Amino acid sequence: MSPSSAEPSAMGVVLDLIEGIGRVPTGGTATVELLEGNRISALDLVAAWCASSGNEIVSVEGLTVTVLHGRSPDPLAGLDPAQLPGSRVWVYTNFDCNLACDYCCVRSSPKAERRAIGAERLQRIASEAAAAGVGELILTGGEPFLLNDLDALVNSCTDELPTTLLTNGMLFRGARLERLRRMDRSRLTLQVSVDSATPGIHDSHRGTGSWAKAVDGIRIAHDEGFRVKVAATLPADQMHELDPFHAFLDTIGISRKDQVIRALAHRGVADSGIELTVDSLIPEVTITADGVYWHPVAADHDDQFVTRDIFPLADAIAEITRRFVAHRRAAERAAEWFPCA
Amino acid sequence: MTAPLVIGSVAYSPNVVPIWEGMRDYFAETSTPIDFVLFSNYGRQVDALISGSLDLAWNTNLAWVRTLAQTDGGCRALASRDTDLIFKTVFVARSGSGFSSLESLRGRRLVLGSRDSAQAAILPVHFLREAGLSEGDVNLTRINSDVGKHGDTGRSELDALRAVLDDRADAAAIGINTWQAIGRGELLPGAFESFWNSPEYSHCTFTAMPSLAIERADPWVANLLAMDWENSKHRPILEMEGLQAWVPPRLEGYASLVAAIREQGIAARW
Repeated sequence: MSPSSAEPSAMGVVLDLIEGIGRVPTGGTATVELLEGNRISALDLVAAWCASSGNEIVSVEGLTVTVLHGRSPDPLAGLDPAQLPGSRVWVYTNFDCNLACDYCCVRSSPKAERRAIGAERLQRIASEAAAAGVGELILTGGEPFLLNDLDALVNSCTDELPTTLLTNGMLFRGARLERLRRMDRSRLTLQVSVDSATPGIHDSHRGTGSWAKAVDGIRIAHDEGFRVKVAATLPADQMHELDPFHAFLDTIGISRKDQVIRALAHRGVADSGIELTVDSLIPEVTITADGVYWHPVAADHDDQFVTRDIFPLADAIAEITRRFVAHRRAAERAAEWFPCA
Repeated sequence: MTAPLVIGSVAYSPNVVPIWEGMRDYFAETSTPIDFVLFSNYGRQVDALISGSLDLAWNTNLAWVRTLAQTDGGCRALASRDTDLIFKTVFVARSGSGFSSLESLRGRRLVLGSRDSAQAAILPVHFLREAGLSEGDVNLTRINSDVGKHGDTGRSELDALRAVLDDRADAAAIGINTWQAIGRGELLPGAFESFWNSPEYSHCTFTAMPSLAIERADPWVANLLAMDWENSKHRPILEMEGLQAWVPPRLEGYASLVAAIREQGIAARW
C-alpha cells in the first residue's frame, strides 16, 4: 500500500480514538480497531498520538487497541526510594549450608548442590551494579562461609559498593575466621540469623545448639570490629510478641535499627507462612548461578524466575522494573473492573 | 455559612463531573463555596441563568454573546481559561493540496462543523466573508453533530476531518484545540496541513447576571484565579478543563463573533 493511501487511513484511526477517548472520563478506556492493511503504521501513529496527548496504550490484541484516557499513575512513584527495583541487589553466593532449617525458603542444607556464583561473575555483578546505580549488595546463601574463597568474593563486592553478608554466624573459627578478618570492616555488615531470645524456638527450626553458636558468632564478629545486624524469621502468629526479643538483642549489642524481623514465607521447605507472589511482592533483584529472580525469598522457584541472562545487569534490573510496573497496573485495572456478578 | 454560588455547566464530556466535583471541593475550602448544575445544552443553561436558577454559567463564546444579547448587555463576564483568550480557527487540508489562503478556497469544497460551533462554523463563514468570499463562492458542507453543545465535544470537527480524508471535502475549518489534539500536522506529516489561521478570539467565560452582587462575585473570582497549576490538588482539575491558569476575560475578543452573528442573522435565542 502506498504511503498516500496508508497514512490517511491510519490518521482516521486516530480520529476514531480521539472521539472514543472524549467519550470516557479520565481513567476510562477506549478501543479502536486497526485495519489489517496498515496495522503497523496505524499502531505507530496511535502510539505517537498517545505519547503527545498524555494518554496510554494499555493493550494491543490483534487489531484492537485499548487506550487509557490519561496516564495510569506511576507505580514506582509511590515507593520508598529504598524499595525501587535495583536500589540494592541480592546475590546467592551458594546454596549449600551447614544447617537444614525447616523453613528455608531456598531448600538449603548440607545435601544441597552448591551452585556457586563464582568469583568472576560476582566481580562483574559488583562492577555493573555500581555502574547501574545500585546502592548496596547483599550476599546470601546457603551459608557463604562454606566457600573457601569467600574473603575474595566479599572484597570484590566491598571494593565497589557497601555490602551486607548474611550468615548463620556459626562458622567463625580457624581458616573461616581468618577469611572474616580479611574482609573490609568499613564497607561490610554481617547479618546473622537469630530467631528467638532463648534457644528453644531458634533451635527447633535450625538444629540443637545452633542458637548458642549464632550468639557466640555475633560476639566474635563484634570483637573483630564488624557491624552486625540480626534478622529473625518468625511465623505471623508470633509477630506480636517481639518486646522480649528486642530486649535480648539490646543486651548483645545489636542496635535497634539493626534488628530485622521478617515474617516466615511459605516457600522452599517451609510448610506454612505468608504467600508471596510476583503480584504481591515488591521485587528485590536477586541473582543466583541460574539467573535472575524476582526476590530472594523465591530464588529457587520457577514462578519468580526472570531471566537466565545476568548481564548486562542494568538490563535485568530494567526488565524487573518493567514487569513490576506491568503487574501493578494490571492489578489496578483488575481492581477497577472486578465484577461482583 | 455562606450559601454556595450555583454554577451551570454543559455536560459535554464524562470528565465534566470530576471537573466540577473537583471545583466544588476546591471552593469548599474557600470563602466562596459553590455547587453546580449540569445541562445537556447551552440553550437550556442560558435560560436557567437568565431566569435566576443559576448564579453563574460556564458559557461558550456563543452562549456568552447570546446571553449578552438577551440581557441588553447587562450580563458580566467574570473569568476565562488562559486558553480561551487565544482561541483560533484553523483551516486544514490534505498535505500537498496546494491551498495557500482563504482565497484559494474559491470554488472548492469546505466542510464545517456543527452550526452552533463558533470555531468550526460561525466564525469560519465570517472569516471567509472578510476575505471577500460569500457562501456561494465556496462549496460549504455542514456536519451538524452534537448540536446544542456549541462544538464542545469536537465530534463535528473530527467528522469534518474524516470528510477531508475520505475526499468528501477539500478542506475543513476546525478549532485550534482540535488541531492540537490531532498533533498539528506533526503527528503524521503527509496527512493534514494547515493553510490559514484566524486571528485570536475569545472562547469560554463565566457569565453572571447583573443581579449577582459584586461583593459575592469578586471574592469568588479571586479564589478562582488563585487556583495554581503547581498545586498537585488543583492541577488535575485544570488539566481536565484544559487550562494552566484562570484569567480575567478579554471582552474585545468577542467582537468577531458578535459581527459574525449579525452578518449571518443568528438568533439570540433558540
